[in-house]
Amino acid sequence: MSLTITCPICGKRNGYEFRFGGEDKGPRPDEDSLTPQRWCEYVHLNECVAGVQKEWWVHKDGCGSWFTIHRDTVMNVEVAKPEADR
Amino acid sequence: MVEIKRYSPVAFKVSPKRVEVRDNWTVVLEYDGEGQGANYLVDLSHITRFDVQSSNLDAIKPFGVTIPQGLCESNLQDGLLINRMNGIQASIFCLSGKKPEMPSESSYTETTEVGMCMAIFGKNVFSITEKLTSLDFMDPAKKTPFLYQGPMSHIPCQIITLSRDGEKCGIIFTASRGYGKDMTHAIMDAGAEFGVKPAGEDKFKSWLGSL
Repeated sequence: MSLTITCPICGKRNGYEFRFGGEDKGPRPDEDSLTPQRWCEYVHLNECVAGVQKEWWVHKDGCGSWFTIHRDTVMNVEVAKPEADR
Repeated sequence: MVEIKRYSPVAFKVSPKRVEVRDNWTVVLEYDGEGQGANYLVDLSHITRFDVQSSNLDAIKPFGVTIPQGLCESNLQDGLLINRMNGIQASIFCLSGKKPEMPSESSYTETTEVGMCMAIFGKNVFSITEKLTSLDFMDPAKKTPFLYQGPMSHIPCQIITLSRDGEKCGIIFTASRGYGKDMTHAIMDAGAEFGVKPAGEDKFKSWLGSL
């Protein structure tokens, strides 16, 4: 088991119980001034950080909840929330 | 008038010795050759189950029993098992076999017919589950009864550990109805080396009474 993920309901579990939900891109862009270009970028473009990034995961084989974690994409391990995001 | 007949998704390869028709389910009370085995597998798909969901779950007392406050904690009282699934949802298993009246509040949903339910009990239960799941039933941080929401035999299940006490060890689990046949096969296969046998509801009730 290479990756473990901490579900807020069930606790630390085998990574195979979860499904990746993509990078956390923050809130939806404001719709008043939204252009097709801006929406396309929000939906399709990713940062693909080599390091710690905030991600969405769903506990598909467990409680079914959606939540965010911070994961080091180089080491493929869950890490604590970085000081800068607190 | 149309007569309803309900079928359990679970079937064993042994013949029932005594059966009873209850709320249109044919409930097996005893199977041929049950004897005094070490470990038993019982089909409980007929027992009434509910989901209760509310933004103020702590204000609800299903059938007079308190819903545990801690996530994934369970409460067994008077044959009623209540499991806290998350902040707003709990599952209720009426293990006594009696069907209570459906509460009138909209927060309740009956889930009996959408799933399968089985119990495994005996001294080798956790040796059997170890072959089927990576979930740690012996976690010392957990106090029985407790709920796991996780995969067993690769199937998402609700698994409630009722006892970790020697011969009385046992779990109850539910999964989607369609997995009944294959889950039975997987458990009987994993339990073959430990002499697991199918048993009827009477054996389950005497185990439940001993807890």
